[in-house]
Amino acid sequence: MLFTFFRSIWVILRKDIRVWLRQPVTLAATFVPSIAFLLVGALGAAAVGHSPVALVTLDTNPKGMQMAQIFHSADVFQITDATPQQARNLYNKIDVVAIITIPADFTRRVDAHESAPIDVTVNNLNLDFTNDIRRSVPDAITQFYRAQGAKSPIKIIMDEHDLRQRDVQLFEYSVLPTIILLLSISGLINGGLSTAREWESRTVKELLLSPVSRAAIIAGKVLACFLITFCLGTLVLLLGYALGWTRPEGIYWLSALLAVALLSLFSSGLGVAVGAALQRFQIVIAVSINIAIYLFFLAGGIGVLAFEPQWLQTIATFDPLTYGRHAMEMAIFYSSSDLFGLDMTILALSALVAVGMGVLSMRRGIAV
Amino acid sequence: MLAKPGYTLRVIWACMKKDIKSALTERVFTIISVFVPVNILILLSLFAISGGQAPTAVVMNETGPYARQFYDSMSHAHSFILQTATASDAASLMQRGKIVAIVTIPADFDARIQQNQPVQVRVDVNNLNTDFTNDIRRAIPLSITTFYAKAFPELVTITPNEIDQYPQDTGYIPYLTVSILVVGLVLAGILQAGTASAREWENETIKELLLSPASRWAMIVGKMLASFVMSIAAVIVVLFVLIFIIGVQPVYWGEVIGFTCLCLLIFIAWGTFLGTVLKQRPAVIALSFGSSIPLFFLSGAFGPISFTTPAIQFIARIFPIYYAIVLQQHAFHGFDLNTYGMIINALIIAAYAVALIILAAVVLRRNTLAH
Repeated sequence: MLFTFFRSIWVILRKDIRVWLRQPVTLAATFVPSIAFLLVGALGAAAVGHSPVALVTLDTNPKGMQMAQIFHSADVFQITDATPQQARNLYNKIDVVAIITIPADFTRRVDAHESAPIDVTVNNLNLDFTNDIRRSVPDAITQFYRAQGAKSPIKIIMDEHDLRQRDVQLFEYSVLPTIILLLSISGLINGGLSTAREWESRTVKELLLSPVSRAAIIAGKVLACFLITFCLGTLVLLLGYALGWTRPEGIYWLSALLAVALLSLFSSGLGVAVGAALQRFQIVIAVSINIAIYLFFLAGGIGVLAFEPQWLQTIATFDPLTYGRHAMEMAIFYSSSDLFGLDMTILALSALVAVGMGVLSMRRGIAV
Repeated sequence: MLAKPGYTLRVIWACMKKDIKSALTERVFTIISVFVPVNILILLSLFAISGGQAPTAVVMNETGPYARQFYDSMSHAHSFILQTATASDAASLMQRGKIVAIVTIPADFDARIQQNQPVQVRVDVNNLNTDFTNDIRRAIPLSITTFYAKAFPELVTITPNEIDQYPQDTGYIPYLTVSILVVGLVLAGILQAGTASAREWENETIKELLLSPASRWAMIVGKMLASFVMSIAAVIVVLFVLIFIIGVQPVYWGEVIGFTCLCLLIFIAWGTFLGTVLKQRPAVIALSFGSSIPLFFLSGAFGPISFTTPAIQFIARIFPIYYAIVLQQHAFHGFDLNTYGMIINALIIAAYAVALIILAAVVLRRNTLAH
């Protein structure tokens, strides 16, 4: 009896995976978004935080040159040294976001303790770029004063203590949201489509008339989808590892893989539930993508949840992806097991509820 | 000869009517597709809602005038969402992920400042990623120089003298939501046109269409017009939310309407092409999401592409989404994001539309259906 049950699961699992592999378009639909997001992350990260500016140094005396050197070594700007006319041309052609001008009498004014303003002409078309400039120029000024050592009039010193041992680069950080998106889209779409396909192609009739337990049918479908989703997630994780972007160490490989597994199970169960409830390809795919994208963005999307307003953080606490993301971040970037138990418990419960919903939806579908 | 234009128009009209009726019979999908662009608008806007400002607790161990002035400088640094807290409360907030930085102003802050002695301000940072962490690292020096410029203008004489191009700043939300409108148009166009085209192949009704004496051009135009009509509902919803709920008032209303129709046309042409090539609605739907959102990120959604890397600039210029964003930013904010001028940008979009319509017609002409 038990043998028949597991054999049925195995047969349905194999059948669903074979059908999936025969659908190149579905394969593409699963892979394209995540690969595209990875590419976007890698390309976009290179551009973040390095605003192009034109630097006009009208003062060739020591203080002016020192200030110019500080701007160059600030690792904040992409600097183009220019004459006032060249700078204006670059600015008008929208090749630079700002013109920084060190005035001709800069050294004299600094030495005479007179006001020595550095002109910053900024294209303030949006706050993202404008605020980068607003923060970076004073940062350079502070460095200028700091270089004076004990003579510096600025006596306030920032004493930075980082919570985490190492800084995570933006492009590394963006890999995890991509994996989360992949897991949710793959689970929901593949689970939904493989279930709805049974109704669309009317093979559900054969399944129902066969002497196979319905629990085995559902388990087989969820497991097939889980396997596909888990393998995809692991593949991207390994790809990130090979590129040096995601590097879990030792035992944290296990916790990262556990989080991937539970997220896969959750999204697969949800996918099967949606597929069984809606039973039509087109609606299933539209609803699944919407659910996946909502769950993804409400868990922080490609941003950082801690920076979002409180009400959004409160909503995120009800989104299982939030816990999956937290567990993976801790394991992969920070080699930490902070809140690991809570994350895993909530993910496991969510996966169980999702599979339960799948079972219920399928039973109701069968009854109809 | 005279009968031919009339016949073609009848074919266009019939195809359009048939597609609208077909779409209306699939109510759930139609409703979902109408609300997809507005969903995307809401979800992508969530990124910008915090304005990139770091939630930060300030532990005020000193409450003297200089300490308060320093706090005031931090609050004007365009970088923090500040709250004061005790050391233990701040640690607890950090532990629970409610804040990302703690700035501790020491008890002897005022005394040391008055005596011109060095004073350390402790900054604890949850260094989740370098983008956000560097913003905090740079915002503290900004606060320090602002503080000195106000408190001791005779000591710290070097200050930035900012000259803004526009009289007022445009926030993250108003800027980004206009770019997001474009991705809404992409999805509205591709979903409607792509599914309408693929439906013919799935239901095998394409056989009748291909065997009929009707011109394939006329069929394509009829189908595109139907998709245009159906997409208008989605466009009205997303524009309503953008203008009346989010409150982004267009500078040029005429441009908004004109550019929106033009952009919609191109994405409908793109959807018709995709539907004809892929022939399956699930594939069209999945790829429309899978391609449009990443392309949106690469097409200057956050600012002029000339401020990014050459690789991004190259990719952005290949796809029409970039030109659509340039046009809409001009329509809503009056911004010029490239030096081509609005007419050239609009002509590029129009050229893309014509090319895609031709491509869709050619693909349809070469397609057959296996028995």
